Order: sequence, then structure tokens, then C-alpha cells
Amino acid sequence: MKYWKLLSVFAILLVIFACTSEDGGPGDNPPTGNDSFDRGAMLANWADNIIVPSFTSFESDAGTLKNATNLFVDAPSVQNLQQLRLLWEKSYVNFQNVAMFDIGKAEEIRFRDRLNIYPTSASKIEGFIANGNYNLELPSTIDAQGFPALDYMINGLGATDTEIVDYYTINANASAYKEYLKTLSETIAQLTTNVLEDWNNGYRDAFVANISSSASGSVDKLANDYIFYFEKSLRAGKVGIPAGVFSNEVLPQKVEAFYKKDISEKLLLESINACKRFFNGGNNGGESFKTYLDFLNTIKNGADLATIINTQFDVALSKANTLNADFTQQIATDNFQMLETYNELQRNVILLKVDMLQALDINVDYVDTDGD
Amino acid sequence: MTKILLPTLILGSLFFASCTSDEDNNPITVDPVDVNAPATYTFERDGSSTVSFDGQTTRILMATEILSKFTDFDNSTEVSIQNMFAHVEGANDFSNADLNASNKNVRSKVAASQDYFSTNATGSAQIKTTFDGFISSQINEVFPNRNTVAEPGVAGQIADGTKTRYVNTKGLEYNQAFAKGLLGALMTDQVLNNYLSEAVLDEADNRETNNNDVPEVNANFTTMEHKWDEAYGYVYGLSANAATPNVTIGEDDKFLNEYIGRVNEDADFNTIAKDIFEAFKLGRAAIVANNYEVRDAQAEIIRAKISEVIAIRGIYYLQQAKAKIEDGNQTEAFHALSEAYGFVYSLQFTRKPTTNSPYLSGTEVNNLTSQLLNDGANGFWTLTPATIDAVSESIAAKFSFTVVQAASLD
Repeated sequence: MKYWKLLSVFAILLVIFACTSEDGGPGDNPPTGNDSFDRGAMLANWADNIIVPSFTSFESDAGTLKNATNLFVDAPSVQNLQQLRLLWEKSYVNFQNVAMFDIGKAEEIRFRDRLNIYPTSASKIEGFIANGNYNLELPSTIDAQGFPALDYMINGLGATDTEIVDYYTINANASAYKEYLKTLSETIAQLTTNVLEDWNNGYRDAFVANISSSASGSVDKLANDYIFYFEKSLRAGKVGIPAGVFSNEVLPQKVEAFYKKDISEKLLLESINACKRFFNGGNNGGESFKTYLDFLNTIKNGADLATIINTQFDVALSKANTLNADFTQQIATDNFQMLETYNELQRNVILLKVDMLQALDINVDYVDTDGD
Repeated sequence: MTKILLPTLILGSLFFASCTSDEDNNPITVDPVDVNAPATYTFERDGSSTVSFDGQTTRILMATEILSKFTDFDNSTEVSIQNMFAHVEGANDFSNADLNASNKNVRSKVAASQDYFSTNATGSAQIKTTFDGFISSQINEVFPNRNTVAEPGVAGQIADGTKTRYVNTKGLEYNQAFAKGLLGALMTDQVLNNYLSEAVLDEADNRETNNNDVPEVNANFTTMEHKWDEAYGYVYGLSANAATPNVTIGEDDKFLNEYIGRVNEDADFNTIAKDIFEAFKLGRAAIVANNYEVRDAQAEIIRAKISEVIAIRGIYYLQQAKAKIEDGNQTEAFHALSEAYGFVYSLQFTRKPTTNSPYLSGTEVNNLTSQLLNDGANGFWTLTPATIDAVSESIAAKFSFTVVQAASLD
């Protein structure tokens, strides 16, 4: 909490600084939502070249994951477990490319929360398996489903692959373990299909047509979703919380992919890259936050804001690249590197949330809750 | 305010003058400006502290554990929570042995202040029954539906971000209504209308023993000092360091302390924590200096400021909820609405300075909570932004700040 106060002071100072430099700086544009930038073209680029292709690709992976799960459940073996694990990892990595798009159907069905809340609750999962009575649509079950629950089911049940496979073969409750595993993968695939179908059946057009520069407009909403994701899920969830930024001690049990362990860094890098790519309008650089800022000729401290943000993405990426693939190891041996990575991500939170949103005249639509 | 206070001060001085001259024929030696508050809430007699508020710390701890039991689905029963609420000395109600051994409980101090309830036993009983009802309704309506997704008219779970909330058929969380209502009915009522009350501070021979520095039997404090400290304890009783409680204000409990801290984060009210603490400190120093005018002036400041905290936070949550509803996230507004419901309920325990009345009467408060729960057929499920604004404005109209000031942290 004290940290937040410090941060807000820092943020306020930044705002003041930005304001004062804007007063006399030639080439600086006053923030306005009524500029002539083609917001519709940006929304179309987002939908057609980033969001829908990303969901299409991820849906394919989720389907493959479901098939591999069924294969393993039909014939549990070390070989099939390892195959399933590879596909789990591939789809978990690809999930990072859609996680930020918490809008429309995804928001309605709590897509991100149902696919990636961690730490997962092993005791809740074991309870569900033991009594066979569960409903994964209940909000209280978000920490017993999705990729983290699969992580427990295929990486966390035993110390060796043989021990894990035993849960699905000779365990007295093997059929219940198989059933739960199947349900987890099926649920991921089904939820993903629901979101993609909505985009493909009308939501894309409604999204692109909603060019209003108000809190309910698509630009304002997705900008908020994007920054919320970057701040809460990426910066805090993947790095800050396990590194102990918000607690009195480090919390290595809260890393992403805790049971697999050696892919936490990979997931983080993928998600930073996805955020950077979205900022720049995709691989081909269509209309985007970057071109919008360039259009407004937004200058911060004498430099181009979009360039500053891209540079900061690269600094964060190169810092994250130095980390151990296994964040529990990194935290145990040299947590300072985690904190440094957090700091670089936090610098971009301020650039995006304060400087960029101010330039685009977008209000932040979320506040930090008081935690009770 | 100044206009009303001035005559009070003059009258008070006259009274004081006649008292002292009766007793020892000395002229008034204490001038209000001569009361110097210490830097911290530290008061001593013969080298040891005279500050004590164990009973308040105990009740805050009891309230905290009671609250945690509202969602302990595997262990709580109506009887187990009710037993904690109306704890009897020695009963094994709490996880903490000290609380079990205590002869204090929460329920007996709900709506139990000298000024508001000593001659209003019916009102007090009704309010206690309301809190009993939050407990029984949680057990009887919400517990059976704990594994049901809530719908209009159906109790159960709703998602609030990554948190799970448990609501009744109208979308209300009983635990929030209980907690934020208790913040008024227990803490605020006891502080503003009981321990800071002249009727309590000056009861029996309290002035005489205080003037003559006569401590209570087996204690190091005078009765008046202790009464004032008991008020202090309901605000700062769980502070990491109660002598300098503003270092951790907002972090020490889930009741008044927390929300003084939260409101203080709003740029429009960012001296309120300091104002409250300074008034407590100066008032206590005034008791040591036998200056009861200064003491009572500080009590009035505390009354005004703590009342404001409740109103500001109530409006804040209402407006947070309104934004969610306007965004199309009706259910995501329920948690804020449930907190607001409790704060609005608590307004009947506020105290308007220089009067013997709250800023909003029980009748007015019931009208507002009814508006929140009866806008359409299904409570919060059908609550509209227009009604939220109307309730917010009704509250702000009684105070000297605006809805806009209370609604944002700017």
C-alpha cells in the first residue's frame, strides 16, 4: 500500500511535468478525443489483423490440447502424458496472445479468469475429484480450472511421470482423475470457441462500428482492458506478486506454471511481446496506439512518446530475457533480478496509463479496490 | 458553526468559573490556549501510562472474527455466529482464548450509546434485531445456495473480478451490510454518542476526581481520562502503535480505522485523519489540564469528521457502483452497493455538532436503504443510476461537500 502511495506521487509528478512542458512546447498537441484520427480504421486493424487471428490460432491449439487430453485419458502412458504436456505448453504460450482481449463475449464469460487464475488450488481440485460434484461455471471455481489446474493434473500429481500416470491408471479413483482432466481441457476449448464464434458472428462489426470517444466506445474500453491486463495480470501477476512486491516476503508458490516450473519466463516473454505487438498494430504495423500517438505528434520530454514506449518494451524484454526459465529458482537465487524486471514493466505502466491515455483523452475506468 | 459554538464556550467558561471559585476561591487559571497537546497520544501519571482501551480492542477483534465466519461455509451455523455476537464470558466461541475469556461482547454495545439509546430501548432493540437478521439470513438464505450462480431472485455466487461474492436474492452481501453497519452501530455510536458525550465524561463526580487527580481504584487513570481513551480505542484499538496511529491508518482494522484511512486518500479530504487524531490528542490533554471547554470543542470536531467519513465513503461506493452499472456490469456493482448499503445504514449513528441528533435520522436512513433495495422487482439487479444519484444527493445535501468530491479520489 505504501508502495502505491509512492507510485501515485511519482505518477502525479509525471503528470505535472507533462502538463508544464506542454504549455510552451511547439509541436505538442493538447489532448483531445475529437481529433480527426481514423479510429474506425484502428478498430478494424485490431479486430481483423490481431484479435480474430489470435483467437483463431489459439482456438486451434485449444482443440489440439483437447484431443491430446482425450488420447491420454483413453490410453494413459508416459508417452501420451509427455505428448499432452507439450501441447499444454504450446497452447498456454499461445494463450498469452489473447489474454488481454477481455471484451465482448470474453468479458461476459470471464474468459481470462477461467483459463488462467493461479495459484491453482490443489485441495479444491482434489475435493472435486473425490466427490465428483463440481460446476466450473461457479465464480468460486476459477482457481480449480484452466491452464493452472491442468498444470497440477499433468505436472504436479507426482514426482515422476510414472507416478503421475499412476493417478490415471492404478489409483482407486483413476476414472475420476481422468474425468476431471477431460473436463478441464474441454472447458478451455469450449470457452474459446464461444469467444471466437461471437467475434465471427456480428461482434466484430459492432466492435469496429463503435468509434465513439466515450467510456463506452470500443477504443476507450479496449485501451482500458489492455492496460489493466498489462498492469495487473502481466506486471503484477507474472512478476510482482511472486517477487514479493506487494507482500512482506517473496511468494514463489504464486509463479505462473508453478508445477511445470521451467516455462514461467517463456510465458512472460510471450505476453510482453504480445502487448508490444498490439501497441504497434500487429506485425505489419497497421493503425494502432503507436500511429495514433504519432498522428497526435505526442512528445514527452522532447522525445516521441510512441518511441519511448517501444524502447521501454524492449528494455523490459531484455531484462526478462536474463531471468531463469524457472521463476521459483530465480526468486530463490537472485530475486533482485525479478524486482528489476518489475521496475521496467512498471515504467511502461506509467507511460501507457498516464502519458498515453492522457494524450488520447481516455479515462482510466478501473480503480484499485480496497481489498475486502 | 463559530456562531453557535461561541456562546457555548462562554457559557461553559462561566460554569467552570463558578465551579472552581466555589471550591477554592481561585480565579480561573486555565485558558484554552494554554492546553498543549503532546506530539503523540502519550499520557502518563507518576511515570506510567494512563492510556487504556483493552475493551475496545477486544470488541474490534471479536467483530473481525465474527465477520470471517459469514463465509465459512463448512463450519458456521446460525447458533455459532450468534453465540460469538452475544458472547458470554468463558464460552468457547472464538479461536482466540483471550476473546473467549472476556466478559465483553459486541451485541450489547450495538446501538447502546448514552445520548441516543439510554431512553430509547425500542430503537436499540430494533437495531440489534437487524444485525441478528443479517446473521440468520446469511445462514438461511445464502448458505444453502453457496454453490449456485446467483440470478435475479436467486441467492448465490457472483463474480467480482477474480473474487467470488455471496449475495441474497436481491444482490446484497449480508457480510458487508453487517460490517459496514457495525462500523456505525458499534464504533461510531460508542465514540460519538457515548464516550465523547458530556453525560458520560462528566457523569457523577468525574469532574471532581479528574480535577483532583484521583485515579480509579487499581488503575492509573481518572474515570474521565479512561472514557476518552475508550472512544480513542474504537478508532485506533488495533493500531500497530496507538501513540502514533496515523502511520498505519487504514491498515489496522476493517472498520472505522480502515475508512478514515481510505477517505484520507481522497485529495478533497486529505487532512481528515490528522484532524481526527489531533482532536483526540488535544481533547485528552485538555482533560489532563482540567479544561473542559477545549475538551468539548475537540469532541465536536471528532463528531463532525467521523460523521463525514461515513457519508463520504457511502457516496463513494454508490458512485463506484453507478459507474459499473453504466458500463453494463450490473453484478460487478453489487459489492460496492453492499458496502454502500452498510454505510448508509450507519448514517443514523452520526452526530451533528452542537446538536443531539444524527445528520440523517433512522427514518431517513431506512428510506434511503429501501430505495436502494426496492428500485424495481429485484433489488440491486434492477437498481438504476438515477436512483443511485438521488440517494447520493440526499446524503450530500446534509453535509458540506458534494457528491463529486466524495465520488473520486482526486
